[in-house]
Amino acid sequence: MHISEGVLSAPVLVTGAAFAAAGISVGLKKMGYEKIPQVAVLSSAFFVASLIHVPIGPSSVHLILNGINGLLLGWLCFPSILVALALQAILFQFGGITVLGVNTVTMALPGLICYYLFGKLVNREGGLLSLVAAFACGFLSVLFSGILVALSLLFTEQSFMSVAKLIVVAHLPVMIIEGIITLFCVAFLKRVKPEVLGGIYGKGP
Amino acid sequence: MEKGHNIKSSLIILLLASILVISNNLPALAHKVIIFAWVEGDTVFTESKFSGGKEAINAQVLVFDRGGKQLLEGKTNNKGEFSFKIPKLTDLRIVLNAGMGHKAEWRIPELEIQEASGVLGSKIPTESSQPVAVGLSKEEIKELIEESLDRKLRPIVRMMTESQSKGPSVTEILGGIGYILGLMGVAIYFKNRGKKRHKENHDN
Repeated sequence: MHISEGVLSAPVLVTGAAFAAAGISVGLKKMGYEKIPQVAVLSSAFFVASLIHVPIGPSSVHLILNGINGLLLGWLCFPSILVALALQAILFQFGGITVLGVNTVTMALPGLICYYLFGKLVNREGGLLSLVAAFACGFLSVLFSGILVALSLLFTEQSFMSVAKLIVVAHLPVMIIEGIITLFCVAFLKRVKPEVLGGIYGKGP
Repeated sequence: MEKGHNIKSSLIILLLASILVISNNLPALAHKVIIFAWVEGDTVFTESKFSGGKEAINAQVLVFDRGGKQLLEGKTNNKGEFSFKIPKLTDLRIVLNAGMGHKAEWRIPELEIQEASGVLGSKIPTESSQPVAVGLSKEEIKELIEESLDRKLRPIVRMMTESQSKGPSVTEILGGIGYILGLMGVAIYFKNRGKKRHKENHDN
């Protein structure tokens, strides 16, 4: 879902960069000393996830893991995803340096939205409901990313609806897999170390 | 202590992800397209692929001349291939638009087209039109050589396309993770320094 270099027009690029800068500055301000290693680890996970190809469906798609990033990091997912995307652009030539801002927003913003939508639910004591919320978090963050990509392509491709439909259909398997991954991550963390989830919501990210 | 554990569980997630990647036999697909084009005779052949080797099927291909004017457009077939007759003697810029924000381009300089299509060659016989001793005209020999060269070189061209479309290597992946961990160190260093200074100010 990385947008390549030279596809978007300058105004879109600048708007994306501005939004990304805003998100990153909030994220950096909120990043406490003890949060840094967790941000780095999740950034690495995001960096590696794009190499895991999902061979189902009509087009070339890969895991994104922006849901779990947003869920565990909140605003901090902006710096986390920026670093991973920058390295993907330099080392793998996915996306590009000029589109870094737009790509950061299309990946990080859905994570943040899911953090606010499902964070509290995931953190609840009740077993089933929190797992459903975790699945929805992984599923919807990819869906929102697809919609954001279609939005940023609005000025270059002919129709928003057809592009959005194309992206969403192509990523349907990824959405389901990410939902399951997020679900297992949450279940695992709840059993092993509930503080990872609880800590964030206790004192704010 | 809690923080240590916290990191540990995240590390496990990362480890699982890495194992998944490596067990996935590395040339995994990802989001990057390339287009590769070469000239044979009067036709330009193109091949379009996603990095990792999956063909870009039914993708739009646009051909521009030196001035940026669009000469023609077409769609790749189910092997990711698209070919067209050379529309004009100029530098060609071939742009692949695979949709969803995927774009790549390949340039063919005018010289390559001239050489391949024999426009340069056709000038030579006018200079020395007498047949060579063998009985074949210079032009015919040239044509024969070019034909067989094209045939012989085709696998190599293919190999080059394939090597271009290889996915990221293990070194790059590990290098990237290393960068992130390095950045983490830098971030911790600066946060720590800020903390210390804060403390010193308090002490004073």
